Amino acid sequence: MSDKPNPQDDPSEEAMKARLAALTVALEKQKDPKPDQEALEATQRTGRAMSLGFRVLSEFVAGIIVGAVMGWQFDEWLGTKPVLLIVMTAFGTIAGFWNVYRLAAAPTGPQARDDKRSNP
Amino acid sequence: MATGNAIDPIHQFIVAPLAQIRIGGIDASFTNASLFMVIVLLAATFLMIIGTAQKSIVPGRLQSAAEMAYEFVASTVRGTTGTEGMKFFPLVFSLFMFVLLSNLIGLIPYTFTVTSQIVVTFALAALVILTVIIYGLINHGTHFLHLFVPSGVAPALLPFIVLIEVISFVSRPISLSVRLFANMLAGHITLKVFGAFVALLLSAGGWAAISPLPLVGIVALTAFELLVAFLQAYVFAILTCVYLNDALHPGH
Repeated sequence: MSDKPNPQDDPSEEAMKARLAALTVALEKQKDPKPDQEALEATQRTGRAMSLGFRVLSEFVAGIIVGAVMGWQFDEWLGTKPVLLIVMTAFGTIAGFWNVYRLAAAPTGPQARDDKRSNP
Repeated sequence: MATGNAIDPIHQFIVAPLAQIRIGGIDASFTNASLFMVIVLLAATFLMIIGTAQKSIVPGRLQSAAEMAYEFVASTVRGTTGTEGMKFFPLVFSLFMFVLLSNLIGLIPYTFTVTSQIVVTFALAALVILTVIIYGLINHGTHFLHLFVPSGVAPALLPFIVLIEVISFVSRPISLSVRLFANMLAGHITLKVFGAFVALLLSAGGWAAISPLPLVGIVALTAFELLVAFLQAYVFAILTCVYLNDALHPGH
C-alpha cells in the first residue's frame, strides 16, 4: 500500500477510516479554541522565561553590590581601607554566582515535589 | 508627557506633598505617593469585598476576578511552601495584590506608580525578610542559623561558605526590591521617552511623517508593560514564598 492512498481509487475500509480520522482532526481544529490555548501557553512560557531572566540578573547584581557595600562599611569600621572592599567584592561576586547556580539547579524541598506533581 | 520640546522622563516620579503635615519635626506630609497607595488599598479592598459579596455559583466579572486572584496566589503558596505555608497566605496575598494593583494603576496615564519608588519596594522586601528571620528564629531557634551552614562541607572551607551564604541572604531583600523598582522605573521612562519622540517629530517639519512609528512603539510597549506589571507581582509573590519556605524548613 502506498503512503498516501487516494480514497477515490481505494474504497477499502482502511482508507475510509483514515479519511474519517482526518475529518475528525479537521473538525476538532475548527471547534476547539486551540490557537487561543497555544497563544496563551506561548505567553506563559515567555512570562516564565522573562521572570527567570529578571531573577538571574537581579540576584547576580545584588550579590556583588551587597558584597561591595559590606566590604566598604567594614573598611570604615576597621580602618583597613581598600583591603576588605576588594575581598568582599570578590566574595559578593561568588555569592552572586552561587545565587544564579541555585536558581538554575534543580529546586529542592517541597517545591521540587510539587513541581513534579503539577507537570509530570 | 514632555513639556514643550524637552524630554523630561523623570518628572513623573517626583513625590510632591499634597498636604503638609509635620509630626514632631518629622515630615509626614500626605504626598501623591500616599494618595495612590490609598487608592491601591481601596481598589484591592473594593475588589475583594464587592467581588465576594455575591457568592453566586456562576461568578460575575468581579467575583471571578477576586476568585482568580485567590486561586492563583493560593496555588503559588501551596506549590512553593507546601500546605503548612498557608499560614502566610494573608501576607503573600496582600503583597501580591498591592504590587499588582500599584503596577496596573501606574500604567494609567497621569497616575503615579507607587512601586517605582525604591523606598516602597524596599519596605515591602524588608517586611518579607524580617518575617522570615523572626519566624525562623522563634520557631526553630538556633537551628534557623543552619540556613547559613550547609551540611557536608569540609571544615577548612566552612568560613568562606558561611560568608558567601550570609552575603547571599543579605542580597535577597536588595534583589527583591531593586528588581521591582528597576522594572517599573525603566518601563515608565521608556514609555515617556517614546511619547516625547512623537511630540518632537510632530514639531520637526517633514520628519512628522515618521511620527506614527514611536506611537506604534508606545502601543506595543504598553502591552509589554502590562505583562511586566503582572510578572513582577508574580515574581514578588513567589520569591516571598521561597524565602518563607526557608523559615519553615531551615537547614535543607
